[in-house]
Amino acid sequence: MSAGLRARGLGLILGLALSLEPVALAQAKRVISVIPSTTEMLFAMGAGDRVIAIGTYDKFPPEAQKLPRVGALVDPNVERILQMRPDLVVVYDTQTELKRRLERANIPYYSYSHQGLGDIFSTIRSLSMRVGVAPAGEALASRLEREIAGIRAKVAGRPRPSTLVVMGREPGSLRNVYASGGVGFLHDMLEAAGGSDSLGDIHRQSVDVSNEMVLARAPEVIIELRYTNEAINAADLDVWNRLPAVPAVRNHRVIVLTGDEFVVPGPRVADAIEKIARAVHPEAFK
Amino acid sequence: MAASTDVRRRLFVTLIGFGALTFAVMLVAPLAGSTPIHLSRVFERSIPFADNVDAQVFFVARLPRVIAAALVGAGLALSGVVFQGLLRNPLASPDTLGVAAGATLGAMLALTAHADFTLLGISVVPLTSFAGTLGALAIVMAISLARRRGTSSTVLLLAGIAIGALLSAAGRFIQYFADVTDTFKTVQWLLGSLDVGSYAPILASLVPFGIACIGFCMLPRVLDLISLGEDAAEARGVDVVRMERIALVSASLSTGAAVSLGGPVYFVGIIVPHIVRLIVGADHRLVLPASALFGASFLIVCDLIARTIIAPVEMPVGIITAIIGGPFFLWLLFRGR
Amino acid sequence: MLQATDVSFAYGRGTRVVDGVSLTAPRGSIVGLIGPNGSGKTTLLRMLNGTLRPAAGDVRLEGVPLAAMSRIAIARRIAVVPQETRVTFDFTVLEIVLMGRYAHLGAFALEGAGDVSIARKALAATGTSALEARQFATLSGGEKQRVIVASALAQSSEVLLLDEPTTALDIGFQFEIASLLASLNREHGTTMVVSTHDLNLAAMLCTDLVLLKAGRVLATGPTRDVLTPDNIRRLYDVDADVTFHSRAGHLTVVPIGRVD
Repeated sequence: MSAGLRARGLGLILGLALSLEPVALAQAKRVISVIPSTTEMLFAMGAGDRVIAIGTYDKFPPEAQKLPRVGALVDPNVERILQMRPDLVVVYDTQTELKRRLERANIPYYSYSHQGLGDIFSTIRSLSMRVGVAPAGEALASRLEREIAGIRAKVAGRPRPSTLVVMGREPGSLRNVYASGGVGFLHDMLEAAGGSDSLGDIHRQSVDVSNEMVLARAPEVIIELRYTNEAINAADLDVWNRLPAVPAVRNHRVIVLTGDEFVVPGPRVADAIEKIARAVHPEAFK
Repeated sequence: MAASTDVRRRLFVTLIGFGALTFAVMLVAPLAGSTPIHLSRVFERSIPFADNVDAQVFFVARLPRVIAAALVGAGLALSGVVFQGLLRNPLASPDTLGVAAGATLGAMLALTAHADFTLLGISVVPLTSFAGTLGALAIVMAISLARRRGTSSTVLLLAGIAIGALLSAAGRFIQYFADVTDTFKTVQWLLGSLDVGSYAPILASLVPFGIACIGFCMLPRVLDLISLGEDAAEARGVDVVRMERIALVSASLSTGAAVSLGGPVYFVGIIVPHIVRLIVGADHRLVLPASALFGASFLIVCDLIARTIIAPVEMPVGIITAIIGGPFFLWLLFRGR
Repeated sequence: MLQATDVSFAYGRGTRVVDGVSLTAPRGSIVGLIGPNGSGKTTLLRMLNGTLRPAAGDVRLEGVPLAAMSRIAIARRIAVVPQETRVTFDFTVLEIVLMGRYAHLGAFALEGAGDVSIARKALAATGTSALEARQFATLSGGEKQRVIVASALAQSSEVLLLDEPTTALDIGFQFEIASLLASLNREHGTTMVVSTHDLNLAAMLCTDLVLLKAGRVLATGPTRDVLTPDNIRRLYDVDADVTFHSRAGHLTVVPIGRVD
C-alpha cells in the first residue's frame, strides 16, 4: 500500500474520530475558524463562502481578509462567536474554556491539534467531511501529497546537508536565536525538503540557540525565516560573520525565506517545502 | 564579628576575598562549557581565526558572555544595594522604581515595530532599551525634583512603583497587540540572555556603567547615614537631597545598562546585597564593593550552570539565579543566627 | 549662640505650624522647649539645626545664618537627638555611634583610633558600653534611645538639640540622661535645647524655658519665672502645684487635675 493510500486511510479514520456528528450527515454552512491554517484550508477546499468569521492572525487568503475577526488562541471573543450563531467552530485543542462554552450553547466544534506534517492532510480530510465538502478536501489533500512527493523525489539520493532553521532572533545580533528542533512542523518540512536538522536530536519544537551551539553544531546551511514582507536589511545578515568557522557562513549559505506559510501548516505547505528545498538543494532545481 | 575599630582591615579582607573569588571565576568560566575546546588551539596563531572553531568558541561565544555576566551582575547588585539604602527598604530591587520597566518597554517597542538599525555596532534592542531607561529616569527625576523638603522618600517609592506599573502595563499592551511571531521574541527577551556574541554592546555599556560608578564611589558612607532616616542623615551632615539624586541617577544608569545588555535578570539585585550583608555586615563601605564583586561572580556562575546543566540545550539564566540564590540565602540566614 | 528670630513654617498650604517664634540659646545654657502635642516643638527644632528652612525669619549660629552654612559645617557644631530612630539594616551599636563622626570625617575618610575612642567614651557616658557589639535592632526602647544620645555625643558638637530624649526611659535612666546632659553642659559648656513633656526634667535641667502653644511663644525666660501654675494652666489646661523642693534643689511640678 502506497504512502498516499495509507495516509488517506488514516485521514478517514481520524476524521471519523474527530468529528462530532455521523459522517454522512455532516454539513456546516456557517463556519467560524480562529486558526490560520484551518481558515486557509477551508478556502482552499472551496468552502470559503461558508466561513463567516476568522481569527485575528489569519492573513491568507486575500478573500478572507474582509471577514470579521473573533480573536485567536488566548483571547477568543466568545460572546461574539455565540452571537453570530455558527453551526461549526474550528477551535484549538487546548481552548478548553471556549469548548465548554460552545457545548453549553449547543454549538458543535471541530478540535484542531497539530504535531507534524502528516496532520495537515488528515485535518484537511476530516475537516472537509465535517463541513460537507469531502470531495474537494480529498482533492486538495491528494494534490498536496503529490506535490510533496514530487519534491522528495527531486532531492532523493542527494546528501542531506546539516541545516539550522532559525525561526527568529534579535535584530542586528545573534542573541535570543530560536530555531526549530527535532520535533514539529518545521522539522518535518525540512526533512521532506531533503535537509538534515542540525538540532534533530533535541526533542523540542523550538530551541534557544546560543553562539556556542551554532559553532558546535556547525550547520552547512542556515535558513532564516521572516514572516512579513519587509525589506531585508542586508547589514542585519552580517551578524553571522561573527562565526566564520560555521560552514554555512564560510560557504555563504545563509538564506532568508520570507512568508508566513512557514508558520501556517496549511494548504501552502507544498510551496513552503519547495522554497526550503530550493535553499537546501539549489542544484536540484536548475 | 570584630567591631569596626578596624574598618580598614575589614575592608581590605573583604576586597581581597571577594576580589580573588571574582578573579578565579572569570578565569575559569570561559574555559568551561558544553563544547570541549583546547586552550592550546584557542591561542594557536598559525590557524587563521576564521577557521579556528576553538578560538571562536572562546572569543566570540564565551568570553563576551562572561564579561557581560560580570558587568550585568555587578551593575544589578550595586543598584540593588543603592535602591535598598535610598528607599530604606530591604525588599527594594533594581526594578522597584520603574526604571527597569522603562528598559523593558523600550525593548518591546523595538521588537514589535520590527525596528532594525545599528549604531556603532550596537543593535537596536539594547539601544531602545537603554533609551527607555533614560525616559523612565527622567520621569522619576521630575517627580523627585518636585518633592518638597520634608517629604520622605515614601513619595519617591510610591511614584516609582506607579511609574513602573504604568510602563509595565504599556509594555504588556504592546506585547498583546503584537503579531504572534513577535510575541515570541518578546517572551524570549524577557527571560534574559547574556549571549551577546560581540564586544560592541559591552564597550558601549561601559559608558553608563562608568558614570554610575563615579556616583557609586560617593555613596557608601552616605548610604549608611541615609538608612537611619533623612533627617538623621541631614543632622549628621549629609546633603541628603543632592546625595539621593546622585544615588537615583547612578542606580538607574546601572540598571538600564545592565538590562539593555542582558535582559531583566533582577533577582540578582535583590539577593546579592542580602547575601553580602550576611557575610560582611551592614556597613555600606564594605557592602557596595563586595556586592559588585559577588554579583559579578554569582551571575557568571549562574550563567555557566545555565549553559551546561542540560546540555545541549540551555536554560534561561534568570531561572538559575532564582533556583540557586533562594536556597543559598536561606542557608546563610539560618546558619548565621 | 543659637538664635532663631521670628521664624515661621507651614507644611503645604495649611496653617502655620510655627508662627513668628523667637528663641535664644546663649552659650552654655540649657533651654527647655515645653508645649502640648502639636504645638510645633519638633518643627522648631528642625529649623534650629537647618533641616527645615523657615518660611519667614532666620536662624543664626553665632551670628552666621544657617542658610549660609553647608550641611556638614552645621553638623560639626550642632547635633540632634531625634524623637525616634528607625534603623533599616543590621548595624551594630558601635557602628551607629561611629556614624556620628561623619561631620568630622566626611564621606571618604575611614574612622581612626581617635574616632573610635570618642565613640566609646560616648557609649560609656550613656551607660551603653556593654552593648557595643550588639545589633541595634535587638535593643529595648530605652537602650536604643541611649545609644542615639551617644551617637549625637560622638558628633562632638557645641550645640545639642534633643527632642524628648527621656520619653522611652524608666526613671532611673531618666536621671542618668539628665545628669549626663548636666555634666556635659558643666564640663564642656555644651549649649542645649531640649524639648520635653517632662516638666520636672525641665525644672531640674533647664536654665531657661520657652513655652510654645499652637506655634506661638506663650512665655519665655528663666525657668523659675516661667514655670508657674498660671502658665501651666494656659499651656495644658491642667491645674498643677509648682513648689521648690529643698532636697531636690529645684522646682518640682505636681499635676492635680484637668481644668475645663
